Amino acid sequence: MEKIVYEKPVISKITAGVPNKFGLPTKLKTISAIDGIAVEKLMEDYGSPVFVISEKTIRETYADAKQAFETRYPKVQFAWSYKTNYLDAVCSIFHDEGSWAEVVSAFEFEKALSLGVNGSNIIFNGPEKSADDLKLAINHNACIHIDHFDELYLLIKVTRELNKKARVAIRINLDAGIYPIWDRFGFNYENGEAWNAINRIMLAENLDLIGLHTHIGTYIMSANAYAIAASKLANLYMATHRKFDHWLKYVDLGGGFASKNTLKGAYMPGTETCPSFDEYAEAISNALISSEIPHENLPVLFLETGRALIDDAGYLLTTVLANKRSTHGRRTMVIDAGVNLLFTSFWYNLGVYPTRELSSHVEESTIYGPLCMNIDVIRDAINFPQVKTGEKLVIERVGAYNMTQWMQFITFRPNVVLIDLDGKPHIIRKKEELASLQDFEQNPKR
Amino acid sequence: MKITGEIKISDNGFVFNSRTGDSFNLNPFGLELLKNIESGKDFDQIKNEVLDRFDIDDLTFEKDFYEFCALLKHHQIISQDDPLDFN
Repeated sequence: MEKIVYEKPVISKITAGVPNKFGLPTKLKTISAIDGIAVEKLMEDYGSPVFVISEKTIRETYADAKQAFETRYPKVQFAWSYKTNYLDAVCSIFHDEGSWAEVVSAFEFEKALSLGVNGSNIIFNGPEKSADDLKLAINHNACIHIDHFDELYLLIKVTRELNKKARVAIRINLDAGIYPIWDRFGFNYENGEAWNAINRIMLAENLDLIGLHTHIGTYIMSANAYAIAASKLANLYMATHRKFDHWLKYVDLGGGFASKNTLKGAYMPGTETCPSFDEYAEAISNALISSEIPHENLPVLFLETGRALIDDAGYLLTTVLANKRSTHGRRTMVIDAGVNLLFTSFWYNLGVYPTRELSSHVEESTIYGPLCMNIDVIRDAINFPQVKTGEKLVIERVGAYNMTQWMQFITFRPNVVLIDLDGKPHIIRKKEELASLQDFEQNPKR
Repeated sequence: MKITGEIKISDNGFVFNSRTGDSFNLNPFGLELLKNIESGKDFDQIKNEVLDRFDIDDLTFEKDFYEFCALLKHHQIISQDDPLDFN
């Protein structure tokens, strides 16, 4: 006699209260394959956990963003934000699509050079630039975005020593009508500091002011904030022309476009609430085109979008290690990927999905990572079906920041696999091993 | 291990505890187990019946059974007078 398929026994308390605003429970999504390769197969070949990046998704997302801006504004240039994901294979795809490099350290600068990016196509941002870093940038004719007056004067000194000109822009912080106002980077627009900086640069012999830059924040849910920022940059652009008879070459609206992830505490999912590329493009392009800048002198629009271009392309495949019950009866689950790999789990409710259809009976659960640390919580509360140990799960939208802010802690960082346009997987960063980590260490002889 | 007197179990998996006012849903296998416990069967009897009929090994079932019982205790559906009493 054929045996009946077993399903774990479950009892769940019925809670009276506010009805579910989304109506009846929806069927839980499953992710069984990525770009045509079965998740099971990927984990069999590359271990668990494993990061998987889809080249197809990167290129499609980039094409969406490019189309949104290029159909609305005549001159657009993307610069890939290295800190968002600086794996060589990922950066190379963006450069292949035509992106410049946007870097914030000498390390990232050298990484861009090593990938064949021309120095003049590197934007050097960030508050940390030593004299040596500035020399590196000047010698490669990069665009140096000055963050503060001390850096400005250091740069003047360095250009005198080298007897070379530097191509510069200034970073500007401003009130774009959103909270919090990021005022720790750059020169302030409203109190006149930015205008002072422009005047000082225009008087410096060896500085060639070519652009204005702002980065109003991260995960900005209001496209209109960019319109306000663009208008303020346009005002400075025109003021510079009026006073110095000098047309700047570009305005750089930075990054900060939201991805489709859902922020913790958000009422609605990110897929429903985050503006599309079209909405951002409409706001920025309209603000620049309707400003007093003559059409023949419109600047090139630079965008340093990171998160929104790469988040969707990244997946983390993981395995269930254990199911537990807390003393309060709450269901908890331990998986083999922790917060040391998923930095973004601190601010997102990451989507966690099974690879196959499981029971329709879901229960509010907490998902813990494998670290022997109380803070290792991937999801505080997620409706999830019962799963056995060994079940494979997929965490989606993890392409941004996790593979740069991750931390080697307690165990090794896993393989990162890229699936190319032909559907072929490649390891693009090898799993760490004891020897590779001990290479950095020295144990004094006693 | 016995089901407390205030518990009412319907045939479609709805459970009501008239002492606490709480109500619960059981999945079909949870309902079957609770009915078995109600009828006074002990763990070994239940296990043998389950292993005969379902596609499951004894260790997985044992783990799930005790986790289920822990939840029943937590929700005051079954009572255990002595905390050292096993099963």
